[in-house]
Amino acid sequence: MSEHVLAATGLRKTYLSGDRRIEVLRGVDLAVAAGESVAIRGESGSGKSTLLNLLSGLDAPDIGSLRWAGRTPAADTRARFLGMVFQSFYLIPELDALANVLMAARILGVPGAAGRARAVELLAKVGLAGRATHLPTQLSGGERQRVAIARALMNSPRLILADEPTGNLDEATGDNVIALLLGLCAETQTALVLVTHNAAHAAKTSRQLFLHDGVLK
Amino acid sequence: MPWYLYLALKQLFPTGRRFPFFTAISVLGVTLGVALLVVVMSVMGGFGYEIRRMITDTQGEVQVRGDGQVLVEQPEELRAAIAAIPGVAGVTPNAVGVGLLKFENKSAFPQIQGIDVRHIESVANLNRFILKPDTLDDLDDDSVILSSQLAVALGARRGDKIEFYSLLMIEKLQESETMLPRELRVAGFFVVGHQQLDGNTALVTLRRMQDLYGLGHSVHGFNVRLAPGEDAATAAARITAALPPAAGVQAYPWTDSFSDFLWVLQLEKNMIFFLLLFIVIVAAFSVTSSLLISVVRKTREIGLLGALGGRPRQVAACFCTQGLLIGGCGTVCGLGLGFVLLWLRNDIVLGLARLFGHQDVMRQFYMVTQLPSHTSGLDVAKIVIFTLVISTLAGLLPAWRAARLKPVEALRHE
Ligand SMILES: Nc1ncnc2c1ncn2[C@@H]1O[C@H](COP(=O)(O)OP(=O)(O)O)[C@@H](O)[C@H]1O
Ligand SMILES: [Mg+2]
Repeated sequence: MSEHVLAATGLRKTYLSGDRRIEVLRGVDLAVAAGESVAIRGESGSGKSTLLNLLSGLDAPDIGSLRWAGRTPAADTRARFLGMVFQSFYLIPELDALANVLMAARILGVPGAAGRARAVELLAKVGLAGRATHLPTQLSGGERQRVAIARALMNSPRLILADEPTGNLDEATGDNVIALLLGLCAETQTALVLVTHNAAHAAKTSRQLFLHDGVLK
Repeated sequence: MPWYLYLALKQLFPTGRRFPFFTAISVLGVTLGVALLVVVMSVMGGFGYEIRRMITDTQGEVQVRGDGQVLVEQPEELRAAIAAIPGVAGVTPNAVGVGLLKFENKSAFPQIQGIDVRHIESVANLNRFILKPDTLDDLDDDSVILSSQLAVALGARRGDKIEFYSLLMIEKLQESETMLPRELRVAGFFVVGHQQLDGNTALVTLRRMQDLYGLGHSVHGFNVRLAPGEDAATAAARITAALPPAAGVQAYPWTDSFSDFLWVLQLEKNMIFFLLLFIVIVAAFSVTSSLLISVVRKTREIGLLGALGGRPRQVAACFCTQGLLIGGCGTVCGLGLGFVLLWLRNDIVLGLARLFGHQDVMRQFYMVTQLPSHTSGLDVAKIVIFTLVISTLAGLLPAWRAARLKPVEALRHE
C-alpha cells in the first residue's frame, strides 16, 4: 500500500440539511499510485466535490480511513503534499500572476531567489512567460486557470486534486488546459485526481471512475 | 515579510491599480479626525500657553507672601534677601486691594495693584502691555493706569481725573468723618489679553497704595522672576528654605495660586480631546464596515488561503493589520494635514474674516489677530497611540469573521 500516494477506504459522508439526512458518500475506496492520473465523473450533486474535500483533508469523513503517501493527513503537511485546482480558479485579485503562483510558497515561508525562479519557470511552462505582471482581471479564463495550475505545482506536490477545472472554460480552451495539466503532471511524476464532466478529458487519464449512488466504480 | 502582512499591504494598495479607492476613503476618515485633533489640541494648547505666559509675564513665577493677611514689615531687607537667593533674577514688592473708582456718573470696583516702579521691570515687562504712546514712566504717585475694559466702562480717557476711594476711606466715612476722595490722573491703559485682568484692574504706585490703605511701609508680598530654565515649584521650595523663619513668609509657585484655573484648563482640553476622539472612532467604524465587506467579498479567497495552509490566526492578522495600516496612513496624513493647517492658521482665519467682512469686529472683540498654537509632544503621542489602537480594534471584528471561516465552506461560497 505504501507505494500509493493516496489511499482512501470506506469514506462515508452524510450531510444534515434541516431534518433530512443526505448520504452523499457511502463507502468510497480509492487508491492512486505515484504519477498516476485518475478521472472521476458523475452527475451533478453526486458528491464529487465532497469527495475531493475529504481527499484534501479540508473536510473530515464521518467514517473511513485516508492516507497520504502512507501517512495520516495533517493540516500542516497538506500544502507540501498536494495542490488544488478549482472550477473558478480562486486567484487573489490584488496579486499579479507571478505573485499568485508565489503565494503557495509564501504561506509556507518567505520565498527566496530559488522560489522566485521556480515561479517564473512554472509560469513559462504554462505558457504565460510574458504575463507575469498581469493581474487576474487582465487574463482570460484559460490563462487564469493556467496560473492556478502553476500555483498548484509551486510546492512540488505529489498529488493534484482538480475539481472540474474546465467547468468555466469554452471547449477549445478546456482541451488545452487539460492537455497542459496532464502533460505537467506526467513530466513531474505528480499524481492527479481529475473531476470532470467531459468524457474526452477523462479518456486521456490512465483510469476512469464513476461516482454513483455514493460509491466509486 | 510574513504572507499575511504582505497580503494586507497588497489588498490595501493593489499592484498596478491607479488609485486604491476603498483604502483612500477609509484613510481619509482617520486623516480628518487626526488633523482636527492636532489643530484643536494645538490651538487650545496655544491659548493655554499664552495664558500661562501672560500670568508669569505679569506676576513672575513665584510669589512670596505671609500666611493669611500678614504684612511684610521690612520689605527692603527681605527684598534684598530674596534677590540674593540663587536662581532668582528679579524681585518686586506688591500690595493689592479693591477700591471704588468714579468718573463723572460712572463707577467701578476694580482690583488695585500697587507696583514698585523701581523694581517692577526686573520681574515684569509691563511696558509690553501698556498701549502706546504711554509707558510705565508716565505712572507717578498721582496717576493710575487702567485696564482697557475698565477704561471703557468708566468712559475715561487719558488725562481725565478720576475719583478714588479705598476701603479704608469708606470705613472712615462710616465713622462719619468727612473725607475727600483722592483724585488720580489717568496715565495710560493696558491690555494683557486675559479677560480677568483686562476687565477690572487698575495700577497705581506702591507708595500711593501704602498711603491709601494705611499700610505704612509694609507690603503684602513679593513677585519673583526666576532665571531662565528654573522650575517654579523647586525654586519656590528653595526660596522658602532660604528665608529667615522670623519673616513669617513663604514662597509659592505661580501654579499654586492658579491651580484651579490650570485644572479647568486641563479639564477643558481633556474633554475636547475625548469628544474629538469620537471622530476617529466613527472613522474606525467605517474602517470596520469596509473591512467586513471585504471579508464577505473575499470569502472564497480566504477559503483558498486556508487550503494553501494559512492558519486562522494568520488570516485574522491579515485583516487586523489592514486596520492598523489604515490607521497608520490616516495618522501620518492627519498629522501632515494638521500641521499644514496650523502653519496656515492665520491666513485661514484672516481669509474667513475677509470673506465675511468681519475683520475689524474680530480684532475688536477677540483682540487677537493671531491664533495662538502650541503643540505638545505628549498630545501628539496621545493622538497617535489612540488612533492606532482604535483602528487596530476596528480590524478585530472583520478579522474574527475571517478567521472563523472554514475553508470547505468558504470555497463553496457563491
Ligand atoms: N455543506 C453541505 N450541507 C448540506 N448539503 C451539502 C453540503 N455540501 C454538499 N451538500 C450536498 O451534497 C451533495 C453533493 O454535493 P457536491 O459534492 O458538491 O456534488 P458535485 O460536486 O458532485 O456536484 C449535494 O446534494 C449537495 O447539495
Ligand atoms: Mg462539484
